[in-house]
Amino acid sequence: MDPTIKDFEAAIAELDTIVKKLEDGDLSLETSLQLYERGIHLSRFCHARLEDAERRVEILNERGELKPAPPGLGDDDAESRPRR
Amino acid sequence: MSSLFDLPFEEPEPQAAIPAPEPPARRILTISQLTSQVRLALEGQFAEVWVEGEISNCRLWNTGHLYFTLKDAGAQIKAVMFRSTLRYLRFKPQDGLRVVARGRISVYDPKGEYQLVCEHLEPEGLGARQLAFDQLKARLTREGLFATEHKRALPTLPRKIGVVTSLDGAAIRDIVKVLRRRYANAHIVIRPTRVQGDGASLEIARAVTAIGRVRGVDVVIVGRGGGSIEDLWSFNEEVVARAIAGCPVPVISAVGHESDVTIADFVADLRAPTPSAAAELVVARKDDFVAGIDRLTRRLNAGMDARLHRLAARLRSSEARPGFRGFTTHLAWHGRRAADLTHDLRTAFGVGVAARERRYRALQLKLEALDVRRQFQRIRTRLVSADTRLRSVIVSRQHRAQNRFERAAARLDSLSPLGVLGRGYAVCWNHERTAIVRTAAAVSPGDRVHVTLHEGELTCDVVTPSTRRPQGST
Repeated sequence: MDPTIKDFEAAIAELDTIVKKLEDGDLSLETSLQLYERGIHLSRFCHARLEDAERRVEILNERGELKPAPPGLGDDDAESRPRR
Repeated sequence: MSSLFDLPFEEPEPQAAIPAPEPPARRILTISQLTSQVRLALEGQFAEVWVEGEISNCRLWNTGHLYFTLKDAGAQIKAVMFRSTLRYLRFKPQDGLRVVARGRISVYDPKGEYQLVCEHLEPEGLGARQLAFDQLKARLTREGLFATEHKRALPTLPRKIGVVTSLDGAAIRDIVKVLRRRYANAHIVIRPTRVQGDGASLEIARAVTAIGRVRGVDVVIVGRGGGSIEDLWSFNEEVVARAIAGCPVPVISAVGHESDVTIADFVADLRAPTPSAAAELVVARKDDFVAGIDRLTRRLNAGMDARLHRLAARLRSSEARPGFRGFTTHLAWHGRRAADLTHDLRTAFGVGVAARERRYRALQLKLEALDVRRQFQRIRTRLVSADTRLRSVIVSRQHRAQNRFERAAARLDSLSPLGVLGRGYAVCWNHERTAIVRTAAAVSPGDRVHVTLHEGELTCDVVTPSTRRPQGST
């Protein structure tokens, strides 16, 4: 993903900082716009990241292999259907 | 049989030899009175006793109280454990089980019986375990394994959640169910392991180590559902504690119920009272995340909006300055005015304007205006690419600001001396552009001057001031 964003936490933290700067700081318009743009970018990153994880249950076996979990592990979906 | 009868008659004999003291006044007690006194004596002396023995005749009455007999090779005592204390037991008392009991002696008057009212019961051998537990806990504490500064923070949004537990128990189902409910697309990796019995601790330890190495797993839940203290014992073993401490990612322990505390709980980065609770702790509700981000985004937009609002206000105040004092006013004055306004605009756009730029050239007014328009264009392009949800608000504000600027620029244009220049006149500035050269005497040979034409400008060196033709050298 975006190399300028470390992870979800960092993105939230940066977005928070930007919002505070925009709200409190006496910034030039140019800087404000840059921050605003960055903020929107971070916000989108976070939303994307929330959808990012794949809905999956896997079993790590003795040999260190990942296999789809048997159906019925508290999951009523056809979860065992392998993807990719 | 006869010996039994004989005994009392023989025994008093030696006592009879001792002269009886003054016989006390004969006082006859009722059975109730006697029993009451016995009760006072027994209950007073045995208000709290610890006793060990084997359980027999164990029966749970439908009142919820448990009645049984405690016995050893030579004696027995009736015992009861009331429902209120019984529910705290972590094991099921049954015949043949050797236990240590704590309780008090109580006398039951109607039957003339005494019994042990148990307040606490533990299987024999638990004492040894408790000792081992305490010793391990003390040792690992000294080593710093439980130190708060070693506790790692959980990731806010885990990529993959590792789970180490048995596939058979309810724990795994609870965990998956809760995770699905809170965060539908959670990615779960389970490392199945036995969680009780011989060798289980080693299996748990290996599982924790293995799952910590799986790519993307950034938090691990290790635990099991409720059970007897023996069932949970694997989580009190050193090997498990070491594995948790050595796990490269944060570990949440979830062993048994709220009341069960194991060594694993002390060493884990976070202790959850139950497996379900662990699933709740490992990730916040997705809805909460979404709401949080949206809140920040709304504030972001509001902040930007306020900023643009300020720009509009600045432009308004520029416009409101006293108007120009007619065309007769000096060109320099106009230049100055233009510089002021442009300066305001430039400041508004955040372009750093050094103080010397305030001495502004009249001819650049147009160019500046173009430049500012270009900036507006750039800003607009950016805003278009930014959040579409608020774009319209921002653009409309920006529009008003731009209109205002354009009106101001148009006004300046109409007052500008450029019209005069268009008819072929030129304006000559001194080198510093601080004054207009009106007489030849104002300059000396070798001075540099600037000549502003309708289009463009010349930089000239003065050859002879008296000569009427300046020589351009640029």
